[in-house]
Amino acid sequence: MRFIISILLVLCSIHGLKAQVRGLVQGLDSTSSRPLKNVKVSLKGAQTVCYTLEDGTFELVLPKKLPDTLIFEAKGYRTDAIVLSKSDRFAALNVTLISGQLVREIVVNNAKAAHGISKLKTLHVEELTSAEFRKAACCNLSESFETNASVDVSLSDAVSGAKKIQLLGLDGVYTQLQLENVPYLRGLESSFGIQSVPGTWLESIQLTKGGGSVVNGYESMAGLVNLEFKKPAALSKLSLNFYQNRFGRSELNAHGGQTLSKNWKSGSFLHASGVYGRPDHNHDGFLDQAQGRNTALFQRFSYQGKKMEAQLAFQAYLDHKTGGQVSYHENPAAYGLLIDNKHFSAFAKTGFFGKKPGQSMGVIYALKWHELSGFYGQRAFGGLEKRASISAIYDDIIGNADHKFKVGTSLLVVQIGQWAAQPQGGALVGLSRTEWVPGVFAEYTYSGNRLSAVVGARYDQHNLIGGQFTPRAHLKYALSPQLDLRLSASKGWRLPNFVADNVGLLASSKTWIAPSQLRPEISYNLGGSLSQAFRFKKRSGAVTLDVYHTWFSQQLVIDRDSLTDAIVFKNLHERSRSTVLQLEANYAFLRGFEGRLAYKYLSVQSLYNGQLQQQVLVPRHRFLVNAAYQTRNKRWEYDLTGSVYGRMRLPQGGASNPWLNLNAQLTRNFKQFECYIGGENLLNYTQQQPIIAAAAPFSSAFDATQVWAPIMGWNAYFGLRYTLK
Amino acid sequence: MKTLLLSFLLLFGTPLLAQKTMVIHIQTSAQCGDCKARIENALNQSKGVVYAELNLDTKVLEVKYKTAKTSPEKLRESVVALGYDADTQKANMAAQKALPLCCQPGGH
Repeated sequence: MRFIISILLVLCSIHGLKAQVRGLVQGLDSTSSRPLKNVKVSLKGAQTVCYTLEDGTFELVLPKKLPDTLIFEAKGYRTDAIVLSKSDRFAALNVTLISGQLVREIVVNNAKAAHGISKLKTLHVEELTSAEFRKAACCNLSESFETNASVDVSLSDAVSGAKKIQLLGLDGVYTQLQLENVPYLRGLESSFGIQSVPGTWLESIQLTKGGGSVVNGYESMAGLVNLEFKKPAALSKLSLNFYQNRFGRSELNAHGGQTLSKNWKSGSFLHASGVYGRPDHNHDGFLDQAQGRNTALFQRFSYQGKKMEAQLAFQAYLDHKTGGQVSYHENPAAYGLLIDNKHFSAFAKTGFFGKKPGQSMGVIYALKWHELSGFYGQRAFGGLEKRASISAIYDDIIGNADHKFKVGTSLLVVQIGQWAAQPQGGALVGLSRTEWVPGVFAEYTYSGNRLSAVVGARYDQHNLIGGQFTPRAHLKYALSPQLDLRLSASKGWRLPNFVADNVGLLASSKTWIAPSQLRPEISYNLGGSLSQAFRFKKRSGAVTLDVYHTWFSQQLVIDRDSLTDAIVFKNLHERSRSTVLQLEANYAFLRGFEGRLAYKYLSVQSLYNGQLQQQVLVPRHRFLVNAAYQTRNKRWEYDLTGSVYGRMRLPQGGASNPWLNLNAQLTRNFKQFECYIGGENLLNYTQQQPIIAAAAPFSSAFDATQVWAPIMGWNAYFGLRYTLK
Repeated sequence: MKTLLLSFLLLFGTPLLAQKTMVIHIQTSAQCGDCKARIENALNQSKGVVYAELNLDTKVLEVKYKTAKTSPEKLRESVVALGYDADTQKANMAAQKALPLCCQPGGH
């Protein structure tokens, strides 16, 4: 043994002639710090790796090319990195890694770019932080994506003005939404839920294209959107946000954090908004926007102990909207709109840390109750959903932090009822069902020098449609320190809710023809991306190209072309697919300036009226330009976003016009206040006749579902943010 | 036109021209993005500061300031009051203790 050590010493002294770095890595838990063994220490540029010994020490030969980034990774601790420069040669480092349980509370995303593809993650994950949300004074989640090219936001119909999202050209229902890894806004909320999340509550959004991790479930077909709300420890005592726009929309948001004891912290969130304006700028007799009130509450608690941590949260929101013809106010025989949403939910997460580093056990519980009711003219609709889910995840490493795995089991119980009336108050269509879905899953993660991979699969036994096996694989390979290649292949499936998913389509006189049989929608997704980071004239930038192809082996397709007086929902096999290519470039072209340019090509095709055609209301081409400027003292912020939407196909052979949207915002930061003013749709583009046969809303020609551009003209707004530290 | 331009210069130009500015560099004990945000936000909102920028690699804070309104002593004093060292001056201990864990000495 002594012999080996002396050889090592000799070797070390030989190496000692070269530049090397030595150090000690310690882990900081809630109370104490201790040396950590098996911490992966790697140099990003030189691609060399070593692991810390029993006593937490490590030695690494430095490359000639400096500066380089030294990365420390250990399971259960936050990954950290430091930049090594020439002056650090022969230096001794003392590094303290912060425990993951602490970190979830204290790390704020300040240092990160407002938007970007995470370089460390194997999956193609776009990260949007609160800095990005501030660029557009977003009132709710649907508007948070306004400066983002990957997600498209569109109007569901011209009567309610409800917004919905699309990812990869596919409807938002194919994107799995989750709140801090808990299923969120599923089922009945797929049509209006996205507007129930106030933007000011958000800390960050992680956007994954293609299938997400199997740990999160089977439903991510086009992608996965994870929302992170602000965490209790990072919350200021009180934050207030007030917003008012020209069309009579007022909004108030408040949140604050409290320290209850040494281990317990809590956070309270409140949102109240109302739309009081009654504009009808296009004089079609219909209000341009639905009026209403929206109240939302969110209360969360977090517990941090020595061996465990826990999160507990409650949420409630009430949404009441009215609209329709201007005259509906006095004349109940006119065309009216009512949408009522009531939602209550709770979730809990508990995590226990094992004896070995990297070992942990987490359990997630979630409960939800949601009631939806309302009417579009004479077409009433409604639904009730009760949902409970539990999942348990065990995390461990095999040998060292290079090989990690997760295994777990989940159970989902959903009782969902939904119905809608046919035109002229005729027969109802709809269904109710109870789902029991027990499942098991396993996922293995390899993180090497240049190659990292995540391979996982899950099996779910569904009481109505039988067993489903869902495999997924993701791979990342660093072609060079600045160039990353990512590949992914995944399967996803879901059970469609044709009423809840398409409430907006009730805003027409077309009869719904529904399938007699409930079939799952199953899709496969294959995708890849290349991401090159660069420095040009001392300023950093990145270019990302990604291509995703999705094909459905089974899909519930909405055919609006076969029949002139009906919308046909049909179970289609094999003939539905989407290919989306996106090219995006970011560059800080001047000091304080940040520019983004994106182009997206969407081919989303399915069998409509017996022909393979582009899906209605999905443009083939889309551009986005975003320029942001911040003065050097950060007192002023300027933002400008332009979006071009290409021609879209409309049902029955029509087509939309390409149009350009321009938004701008100016923010002034004071010590405790921030003021902002902004404008939307500054070129005042509106769709002529968003409602077909608006004068005769009960005739068979009436159709308000072909909306592809704003109904209202230019908008101006102002707002105030106040923070008490 | 010329007179208009000249009168504008006289009205708005002179106070700008009259103000002298200087740039100083202060070595701080900042260590993470959170520290950077804390120092920059506080300094940028204080009197006489044109801009304040912290380089995390070198931990050096660059401040451009109006000599008539503030001084290097005052600026260093504000850094110290936030809980960070400023050149040779040691951080205010009470303020340092109140910083989040990752900003405390040894937190990184």
